[in-house]
Amino acid sequence: MGDEQRSANALEVRELTRAFGVRKALDAVSFDLPPRAFLSIFGPNGAGKTTLVKVLTTLLNPTSGSAKVLGLDVVSDAVEMRKRIGLISHNPLLYPDLTAEENLLFFSEMYGIEDPQGRVAELLEAVELDHRKLDLTRTFSRGMLQRLSIARALLHRPEVLFLDEPYSGLDPHAMDILDGLIAQIRDEHTFVMISHDLDKGLELCSHALILARGKIVMFEPREAIDEQVFRETYRSTVGMGVA
Amino acid sequence: MASSSMRQFRAMLRKDIVMELRTKEMLMSMGLYSLLTMVVYFVALSQAGAGFDPRDIAAGLLWLAFIFTSMLGLNRSLVHEKDQGCLEALLLSPVDRPVIFFAKAIGNLIFLLVVEALTIPVFAFLFLQGQAVDVSTVALIPLVLVAGSVGIAGVGTLLATMSVNTTGKDFVLAMLFIPLMYPLLLGAVTATAAAIIGGPEGVSLFWTGMAWVIGYDVIMLLASYGLYEFIVGA
Repeated sequence: MGDEQRSANALEVRELTRAFGVRKALDAVSFDLPPRAFLSIFGPNGAGKTTLVKVLTTLLNPTSGSAKVLGLDVVSDAVEMRKRIGLISHNPLLYPDLTAEENLLFFSEMYGIEDPQGRVAELLEAVELDHRKLDLTRTFSRGMLQRLSIARALLHRPEVLFLDEPYSGLDPHAMDILDGLIAQIRDEHTFVMISHDLDKGLELCSHALILARGKIVMFEPREAIDEQVFRETYRSTVGMGVA
Repeated sequence: MASSSMRQFRAMLRKDIVMELRTKEMLMSMGLYSLLTMVVYFVALSQAGAGFDPRDIAAGLLWLAFIFTSMLGLNRSLVHEKDQGCLEALLLSPVDRPVIFFAKAIGNLIFLLVVEALTIPVFAFLFLQGQAVDVSTVALIPLVLVAGSVGIAGVGTLLATMSVNTTGKDFVLAMLFIPLMYPLLLGAVTATAAAIIGGPEGVSLFWTGMAWVIGYDVIMLLASYGLYEFIVGA
């Protein structure tokens, strides 16, 4: 039986610490997240939110502690884990000198997707960019880039989707498309979203976490959250600055 | 290399070549810089006395030009990846880090060899025209060019990956790259000079230089292969 089958949680984070020099961006962070949950992470700038997502997506190695996603260790099982996670960032993570279709076909090859042409066509249609598939992405607007970025992240049908301020800079139409795509796959996927938008984050989440100075200030399932207390706690962390 | 790694390697290499053929950023900047360096050398040495034999320093001039030219391309090759977080997207995919290293290094090697192929005729025209050279040994020069360029591209790709996230990445790359190129430069210049001058002694010296360059390539490529995963995760 594989680790992922033994594990009851989608995420298991234990005493996770990541330091940059003497500064701890994450300081002994621990929490569990059940499968198919939606975790919204809030916190002031420099709180360690992006560092946490980078460690959980294998982009950064932890300094100490451990983290498992779908029962797979972020360090020792990194390659296997990457097949099962996706990331939508505020950065589009796309090559500006490739066309929309070339970008998606390139990443299809990276993930070893069967019938890449079919999958790419399906996703381009879903994000309403099929009419621009032959255009270089450097000619795309911010909203179009973000829609294409969503298609890139969903190419390999990830089980856990990390969203790093995904609504940042989106026009209302692109927001609606992102909302629609999340709603479509909400029930079968685990989501981890960084957001500065309390209303949006609380609307979507099943669990909420506030991070400040690299430590967890609050971590609660949505039904246990007193919204007023949560908002006040969040406000008190803003301005706490970096760790 | 497993078939999935080979497929990923080919896709990355093809992507780099397609993007370069579209933008021509690396080839244009490296090519122009290399040719301008040749012109500057020529003007600077035009006032040398009658006893000056350009063959004595030709190999050194050539390799210095290639070392400095390569730094332009190395930085650009990683800056392309850094733009809009593409390197992150690549690192998020289930690809072994050494595959990324080899794809980037081979791409850099190809572009460097193209620039060298354009520079050599200009160099020969400006510095070796009318000079006595041994044609049989000059034909060996492509061997040392390829072997030397493998070392430049391999070490350069590793160091460019290290420096791309730093402030003042051009400076950081130069500070790391030039000292590490010193042993390679010794072997490559020795072999190239021996090939230009020729004769039986030249052939022997050429292979001594080549052995030095190949040894450097093997050691540095193995070290780069081993360190790449650590560097991208650090």
